Amino acid sequence: MMDLIHEGKVKRVYQDPEASERVIIEFTDSVTAGDGKKREEIEGKGELACRMTEYLLGYLEGKGIDTHFVRTLDGPKILARKVNIYPVEIVCRNLAAGSFCQRYGIEKGEVLEKPLIEFFFKDDNLHDPLITEDAITTLGLVSDENLQFMRSVTLSANYYLKELLKQQGLTLVDFKLEFGCTDQGHIVIADELSGDTMRVWDNKSTSLDKDVFREDKGDLIEVYTKLIDTLTQAKPEEVGNRKEMIQVIVKPKAGIKNPPGEVTKKALMRLGFGEAEDVRVGKIFNILLRKPVTSEILNQLNIMNIKLLSNPISEKHEVSLD
Amino acid sequence: MSIAVIRFPGTNNENDVLRALGQIPGANPYLVASRKGLAGLKDADGVVIPGGFSYGDYLRAGAVASVEVIVEGIRDLAEDGKPVLGICNGFQILAEMGLLPGALLPNQSAKFICKWVYLKVSEETSLFTENMENAIIRLPIAHAEGNYFCPDDYLIPLKEEGRIPFRYCDSHGEITGESNPNGSIENIAGVTNQKGNVLGMMPHPERASRQILGSSDGLLILENFVRATQ
Repeated sequence: MMDLIHEGKVKRVYQDPEASERVIIEFTDSVTAGDGKKREEIEGKGELACRMTEYLLGYLEGKGIDTHFVRTLDGPKILARKVNIYPVEIVCRNLAAGSFCQRYGIEKGEVLEKPLIEFFFKDDNLHDPLITEDAITTLGLVSDENLQFMRSVTLSANYYLKELLKQQGLTLVDFKLEFGCTDQGHIVIADELSGDTMRVWDNKSTSLDKDVFREDKGDLIEVYTKLIDTLTQAKPEEVGNRKEMIQVIVKPKAGIKNPPGEVTKKALMRLGFGEAEDVRVGKIFNILLRKPVTSEILNQLNIMNIKLLSNPISEKHEVSLD
Repeated sequence: MSIAVIRFPGTNNENDVLRALGQIPGANPYLVASRKGLAGLKDADGVVIPGGFSYGDYLRAGAVASVEVIVEGIRDLAEDGKPVLGICNGFQILAEMGLLPGALLPNQSAKFICKWVYLKVSEETSLFTENMENAIIRLPIAHAEGNYFCPDDYLIPLKEEGRIPFRYCDSHGEITGESNPNGSIENIAGVTNQKGNVLGMMPHPERASRQILGSSDGLLILENFVRATQ
């Protein structure tokens, strides 16, 4: 008998009896939609959602993105790193669909100019409302720095998932991610990644995801089986690496003289720009990474900032992932 | 004694230093290219890091040089009590290494300054200023980032422990605002480490080591340095 740590709408999380830092996640056959109003048991769904999650999280890991996935287990279960889940869901959209269309009155299927990130506050009583970044940080749900990080990882994941699906003639419409923090302070993609949490269309805009259940337009098992079969025929090695940019901004500390800023201010005055009260000159380093940003990379970068990129006596540094 | 004069890419005062040291009896200065790494320092009884523009002064003056492999060898020699002298860019490198406290910021004027200055030698003696206590000496400076700064938690011990051998002053030895060429905090022109065997200074003693150069005051500092290697 394993200790149940958490029971969600469609999954159960157990403590791994063999390692305190691991959990076992069981996928149930429940399917829910419309904030839990529509609910059914569909035999075999848990197994398919589990297989998709294993495959897709494993694929993202292979591309250098940190997830909680450790390995596959027998039955509809995976072994995962134990994390504290942040109470914020991140949705990334490439095409308009679902609540986005209702909210803004936009036609389903409209291609968005660039991937759009939305945040939702995970709270059943409040029905998981849309939340702004400012509200997230003000309420202390996630720090500004960590939110930037999650946003960056979500955009990476979007690229890798979209490219993989594209190989098979499929379109990634949107998907939802949850993030968690490990004991070591590493932020990783957690929860699941399957037809339950993403919208995928074939070339006729036919859904291969939970919309089939939401809108009663077919056999969910058939559709999920088709999705996983198609995905597992893709060639992950042929998806090229996405180059990721990190920006390190080095600023002179407050109270420290900044002669370059002072002479710049004088020159601005000379040119007739009298509005400048103070000018301070710093530096920006644009660092192109070979692979997606991880907590480990950010920790290493922090050491580089102190050792090389900034002089802590006179300068402060910040990292921007935009 | 064997004195390693280190040349990083962009160092340009190494010959001046070698020549100045060469006229001091007992000194055996030799050039070490920084790429030699730790092996370049194996026979050294002392180290001079001359001035110049190591790595083009990119990033911050001295920052890139301060993470080279040979720097760990300099750190080891300093720990063993061997004398280490950093002049101008050498001082910037020692500060970036953390071997000396503080930072060399851009000059207050934001300009490169090349001129002769007067320095007041502190009354407390040091390895490098023996027999020079309280003297007023004349050396040239040539730098864009010589504006010494350190926060109070560094400055107070520097003062209490007598680790500020040189301050900019006027020809009468008065330490005044007008005689401060670059905005350095408390007119500081050079500092030593806690043990006293590492000195960093912005003025150039090697350029004032013969009368024909306009001053030989710098030779006294270099002679003290050579004596300390023995």
